Amino acid sequence: MENKRPLSPHIQIYKWHISSLVSISHRITGIINIIAITLICLWASLLFLAEENYETVELLMSSLIGKFIILGIIWSFSFQILSEIRHFIMDFGYGFELKTSRITGLIVIFGSIILTIVFYLIGKNFI
Amino acid sequence: MVQISLPENSEIKKGKYFKDKTGSKNLRKVNIYRWDPSSGDKPRIDTYEVDMDNCPSKVLDILNKIKNEIDPTLAYRRSCAHGVCGSCAMNMAGKNGLACTTAHAEINGDIDIYPLPHLKVKKDLIGDLDGLYKQYQSIEPWLKSNSKSETKEIFQSKEDRAKLDGAYECIMCACCSTSCPSYWWNGDKYLGPAVLLQAYRWIVDSRDEERQARLKKVADELKLYRCHTIMNCTSACPKGLNPAKAIAEIKKMLATANI
Repeated sequence: MENKRPLSPHIQIYKWHISSLVSISHRITGIINIIAITLICLWASLLFLAEENYETVELLMSSLIGKFIILGIIWSFSFQILSEIRHFIMDFGYGFELKTSRITGLIVIFGSIILTIVFYLIGKNFI
Repeated sequence: MVQISLPENSEIKKGKYFKDKTGSKNLRKVNIYRWDPSSGDKPRIDTYEVDMDNCPSKVLDILNKIKNEIDPTLAYRRSCAHGVCGSCAMNMAGKNGLACTTAHAEINGDIDIYPLPHLKVKKDLIGDLDGLYKQYQSIEPWLKSNSKSETKEIFQSKEDRAKLDGAYECIMCACCSTSCPSYWWNGDKYLGPAVLLQAYRWIVDSRDEERQARLKKVADELKLYRCHTIMNCTSACPKGLNPAKAIAEIKKMLATANI
């Protein structure tokens, strides 16, 4: 009897809101960042190993997929930074009112897009 | 490991369709999760056409109307109908709440009604809350006083009493705990927002003398720190309380206290 009982639907039916979206994205970007850091380390070690590698990487990065990956990594880091600050403030016990958490969540989402553009432009024009 | 999909016996099928017989022009479709323990079938979604011209304003009124006029086999919990008892907690339009205080006018389109998420279903909209009640018992939700003043009234200042505001009003309807993804995946160990709010209520009570022991008991990777401030609990609470903040306060106390 006990085992036959079905489990009621959960994530399939539950409505998303800003705060839960930011929370799950925080986790996903965290995983992406670990992969990204590994890739960056790999890139750096490739440059140490041989001169020709520089051109291969350069070719890869200037391709459409390469640009998408770079932008994705910049966004992922931007999102993680802002979301981490949000969680940090929450750890001090602030920002738990529904309205405030909604606003800070929106700041994280739109802020991460703005930061991505800023970082990309800085990288493109000054480095 | 997190299991996102539903187990095989919990997959939902399309159910029966109850066409309107009143001839009303003001109809709404109501989709309700059904499971009959005696049939052995998988859960299904039944659809009812409900005459809204003769239906009061809350979702519970719709359920009563269906049970009284269309399909008497529908099972759900309800009692006070005034948002005090917490019996009619369920998932409406993707959000947990009390059917008796949720206005159907606030829901757009068809009205989807499910039992509280991630519970073993007993029948239709009735979920098994035994696990939650056991966890509630585990935090020993009663005043513990060892001093000799037990025979007399224990005085509490207005300031100390004010600390309980926002915690004592909880009706244990389980809307918050069953809205929490962390509680879905780790409900056997993580206490969940409802129980942690009550733990907080006794930790901050100035009359209680077991504060340290209570804090120590709750200070556990799985019992407390599975809260990742997703805030589903606070947004679900039908009484407007803030379990997420209470959990953050417990974490803060543990970070600053010497235990």
